[in-house]
Parts: sequence; structure tokens; C-alpha cells
Amino acid sequence: MANPTDKTTGEHLTGHGPEWKAAGLGAKDAQVATAWVEQIIDKRSMQTNKDRVEDVRDAMWQLEKDGEIVVHRVGDEHKPAHVKTLYGWDKKIPTTRLWHHKSCGQCGNIPGYPTSLLWLMNEMNVEYLDETDQTSCTAWNYHGSGIGNVESLAAVFLRNFHQAYVAAKAQGLPEGYYYPLVHCGTSFGNYKEMRSYLIHSAKLRERVRQILGKLGRLVDGKLLIPEEVVHYSEWVHVMRGEIAKRQVIDASGIRATIHPACHVYKMIPEDVIYDDDVLDGNRVAVSTGIMQSLGTQVIDYSTWYDCCGFGFRHIISEREFTRSFAIDRKIRVAVEEARADVMIGHDTGCITTLDKNQWISKADGRPVSLPVMADCQFAALVCGAHPYKIVQTHWHASATEGLMEKLGIDWQAKKTEFEEYLKEVAAGRGETLYDPRRMITSGPGFKRIGQSG
Amino acid sequence: METAGTTRVQQFIGDPVGEAPPVERAKLEEIFQDIQSDLRFDHELNGCLNCGICTATCPSAHYYDYSPREIVQLLWTENLEGIYDAMQEKIWACAQCYTCAARCPFGNSPGGLVMLMREVAIKHGMESAKNVLRPFSRVMLKLISTGNQLSPDMISKDAFPDWGPNISKVDAPLAILRKAIPVPTLHTTKTAWEVNLKTSVELYTIWEETGVLDSLKTIDPNLFDVIGDIMDEKRDDYADWLEDQEE
Repeated sequence: MANPTDKTTGEHLTGHGPEWKAAGLGAKDAQVATAWVEQIIDKRSMQTNKDRVEDVRDAMWQLEKDGEIVVHRVGDEHKPAHVKTLYGWDKKIPTTRLWHHKSCGQCGNIPGYPTSLLWLMNEMNVEYLDETDQTSCTAWNYHGSGIGNVESLAAVFLRNFHQAYVAAKAQGLPEGYYYPLVHCGTSFGNYKEMRSYLIHSAKLRERVRQILGKLGRLVDGKLLIPEEVVHYSEWVHVMRGEIAKRQVIDASGIRATIHPACHVYKMIPEDVIYDDDVLDGNRVAVSTGIMQSLGTQVIDYSTWYDCCGFGFRHIISEREFTRSFAIDRKIRVAVEEARADVMIGHDTGCITTLDKNQWISKADGRPVSLPVMADCQFAALVCGAHPYKIVQTHWHASATEGLMEKLGIDWQAKKTEFEEYLKEVAAGRGETLYDPRRMITSGPGFKRIGQSG
Repeated sequence: METAGTTRVQQFIGDPVGEAPPVERAKLEEIFQDIQSDLRFDHELNGCLNCGICTATCPSAHYYDYSPREIVQLLWTENLEGIYDAMQEKIWACAQCYTCAARCPFGNSPGGLVMLMREVAIKHGMESAKNVLRPFSRVMLKLISTGNQLSPDMISKDAFPDWGPNISKVDAPLAILRKAIPVPTLHTTKTAWEVNLKTSVELYTIWEETGVLDSLKTIDPNLFDVIGDIMDEKRDDYADWLEDQEE
């Protein structure tokens, strides 16, 4: 594969189009000309604020010491991987015993997203629980409508994370056995914001404590706060070597563009993984890291930092904005400038927006087409997952078939297999990735099945 | 309220030749006080030199008469009339991407400030909020009563004609396609995943306790009533189940 950081091939950070010409500046002049860009764009202005940013976890440990809260730890039993975040701080990413905190947009609209993730975990014998006792984070609605507030968002956050803490009791296992793994990028950003506000505001803690007390969701009368808020893409990132070992399809001919999600890396940016080995540490490492490990050519493009156009409210009620922005600022740039074969994302709204808003480009006579999917879907695909049964590509509006052809996958044969399989499903003989009895851990329908069940 | 003979401009920013203020000073102060008293206000607003880097990278500024720099300036200078005016339309243009926050040398979050203003627009039952949120009723019904914002049956060709001819490229009934997803919690059509009854009841308590239902009642009393009926039924069902367990 082409090395995206190799500055001699002309392929590194190749965002420029054919009209681009080298300015021919000397080394010193080039450094002067690009210093601002490197500081503000590549390294992000966030880094200049480093001295003014506190690690909220320091205050969190102090609160626990003071008897105010209980911290749900990432323990040795979760086999954590250690990574560096924006300022070089350490973050622990649990790699097993994971509680899947699902995304309403992924499950409702892009079901191949969580399915591919669970399939990868099965392939690597990762222990997990996927259960019904969870709500969405409610932040999509909040950011779109303004219905909700800091108290409701904080209470929902701690309710769901408390459930993750106690869920294993249904299987006769101890509290804290599973650690929550957040699927949605907006949930990830929102939960980290709420954790920060809870740690900084005694008043908010008291209000939320009263509410969670009513729900029976306190631990020893205290709020339970997670040591780390972990996004699935971080799990994929730290497991990228293990995933690559299972790769069965060569992906070196694929030019991949990455869409980093705003709520993943612009909200609480100090907690986001950067890695010197991933595009020289100039981009958020997740998704780019796994695509490099799978041997694709990761191609940079000039609007990488732009949002997708989702807008939270706009995707529902002002789609002219959403589709115009998605097409003109993202998809067309990726196709014409980066000559991409696929755009890879790591968040719900982005994948939906970028995937669904291409067909309408035919309306102005300048159609644009680019397969769009999540990092874990691409990873599952090249590790041999079925494109329809597992990766569920039929829900994607974009031309995933072209990508599969380039990967050498006979998608038509696979689609026929899947259509045949639907007859089995209709007859009640569908396959599942785990024992369905495990998905109810309390309340109506719960039956204890034990650890081995 | 708009009255006969007043234009929209007069209604929102005043009559340029008249002397009577369109909105009483006390009301403007109350609105600003509500914004400023949120615990996040001081976290999101630290100062502003009008550099405009936020607006330069703002996606909404490409398409709307909207500038995050202007929002920050209005709040920083406590321009109460300007704040009120911005709450009539501009704040709803923000795409909530937080690119502005990531760029601001002062560590401001214009996107975060917009959220405080949206919350207050709803609290005060502003017409702008009611108009903007009308298409959201279906989503809010789903979210408040189930904890899921989106469900598979909401994605239809009628609702999203600009998304192309196929919701699924495999032609089969939705229920079968959902059952073909090998994750058992996803074998649903009316919610994104199967939600435990106990979970919905707990979430509803959070909505009640945090004043979210009051906001909903202000904006859409009919929706509030519908959701109340649904949740009363769910609470009864859960209470019945608990009773059965005791027997």
C-alpha cells in the first residue's frame, strides 16, 4: 500500500486537486507560510490552550476521596489498552467485558454498524452484553430541538451507566463486571460534557442524586461516575492490529477518505486519541488508524475538518442545508479532489447524512457517488463478514456495490444468498450473534440463565 | 404577538420611528437572566475579540444569515434587544457541530451558547421555537415515550423522498429485514432496539423531575397530552407487573 505519511511519493496528505502546483518555496519560507496552518488546522488551536485545560479526572478522583461519588473503574479484568490523547494524557480503553450502549440512529437506520462491531468481537472472543435496559443519550433530540436540559442529560447519562455497572448481576456476576462502550459519537461527546459538569457543579450533582435516588440508581447512596467514557471507535483503534490479523481481503487498492465526527473530536477534545504513527499525529487517530492497518491508502482532503451537514434539526426539517453541505463540502471534494473509493466515518449522524444525501445530487445535473460506511463495517467486510447478513449493506443508499467489486467481492452472489436466507428468517430460523435470552436483564421477560447460559 | 398593521421587523426589533419598545425591558432582562444563570454560561463564554475564526469555519454561516461571532458578541456585550432578536430565528440555524468551539482562541463555545438560548426560547414559549419544532413532534413522541429517537418505521420513501428510490436495496417486508439482523435487540420496527418497559418508565421519571415535560407542554400542549396518556398506560403496566411479582 502507499504510505500516507511518505512525503516523497506525492501521495501524502494528498488533498490537492489536479490544478495544484508546488509554490517552490525554500524550506524556511515554506515553514513561515505553513506555520499558521499547522498550528490552527493541523495541530488545532486546542493545543495552544493546553495550559488552561484541566484533566477532569483529577477532580473526579478527589471527589471520590471526599466520599462524594463512586468511580466505575476500568480494571485489569477489562484488559485495558493504554493510549495518548490530544495533550499526551493517558486514557485506558477496555478491550473486553463490554456493555454495548447502542445508538438509536445506528440501530434504526444503519443496523450493519452495530452488527459489524459485535461480529468483530465474536471473531476475537471478546466478552460483551447487549441488553434492552438502556435509553438513547437523548442528545440528538436535545441538540436539534432544545427540549431537554443539563439535568435531564446528566441524569440519563448516569442512569444508563449505572445499568452498565449492575447488568452482570442478572448472570450471577459481580457489579462493575461490564464496562460501557458507547456506540454513538454524539452520546460520546455529550456524556463527556455531562461528566465534566457533574464533577464541577455540586448543585448539579445534588439534583441528579435526588433523581437517581428515586430510580434506585445510586451506589452506596452516591453517584456512579465512569473513570473513562469510551467510544467504540477507540476500541476498534486499539484492536486494529488484532483485527488486521483476521483480514482475508486485500484492501491495498482502496483510496479511503475519513470523515472525523464533530461530536467525537471537537467536544471535549482533550480526551480524544492522537497517535504519532497515524498521519504524524495531525488527525484524530481513530478510523484512520484501522484503515491504515487494513492496508488501505488513506487520502487527506481539504475539507476533512468540516461537519457533515447533519445539523441534528436540519436532517429532519431543513434538509436543503444538510444535502447541500454534505454534497458540496464533503462528498464532491472527496470524489474530485481525493479520488476516493470510500468515505469512512465513526458516527451515526455523519454516516446517515453522507450516505443518504447523494442520490439527490442528480437534481442539479452534477451527480456524485461515493460509498459511505463506518470503520467497523469496512473492517468486518475485509475480514470476511457477509456483506448482507452482517454488514447489512442493503440499508446504505450509497453505491457500496462498487466498493465491493473493487475489493473482489461478488456482491450479487452474496445478495442472492441473503435473499434465500430471508426465507429461513421468515420461517423463524434466523441466526443471531449471541443467545437472545441474555438481552433482558431485569423487569418483564427476565429469566435468569446464569453465566454459562 | 403580531398584530394587524405591524411588520415582522417591527414585531421583533421594534418600530424605527416609534418610541414604544416592542418588548418590555423587564422581559428582555428576564430572558437574559435565564440564559446567564445556566451553570454552563460562564464555561461557554470567556471573552471575545471579534476575530471571527468561529464564523469563518461555521457550516451554517455558509448558508444562513447566521454568525457565531455575532451570538458571542451579543451575549458578551449584554445586548438584550439583539439577543432577543437572534432568538427569533438565527439560533435555529446553528448545526451544533462545535467547529466554532474547537477554533476559538478564547475557549468560547458559540454552539453551546446557542443551546442555552434555544432552551430559554422554549421556556418562554416563543413562536419561533414553536414553528421550528413543529416537524419534531413525531421524534419527540418517540423519544420521550420509548427512549429511542429514531425507529425503522420512520424511514420511509414518503418521509425522505430525496434519499433515493430504496430504503433497503433488498426488497422484503420491513419486519423480515429487521429479523434478519443477527442482533436480537434489533428485531423491532417501532423502536430502534427493544426497550425494556422498566427503562421507559425510569426515563419518564427523569423527564418529569427535570422539567422537560413542562417545556414540552409550553411548546406543544397536544403532544404533551398524548405522551401523558401513553406513559400513564406504561406505568400501569409496570405497576401490574411488579404486583404480579409480589404474589
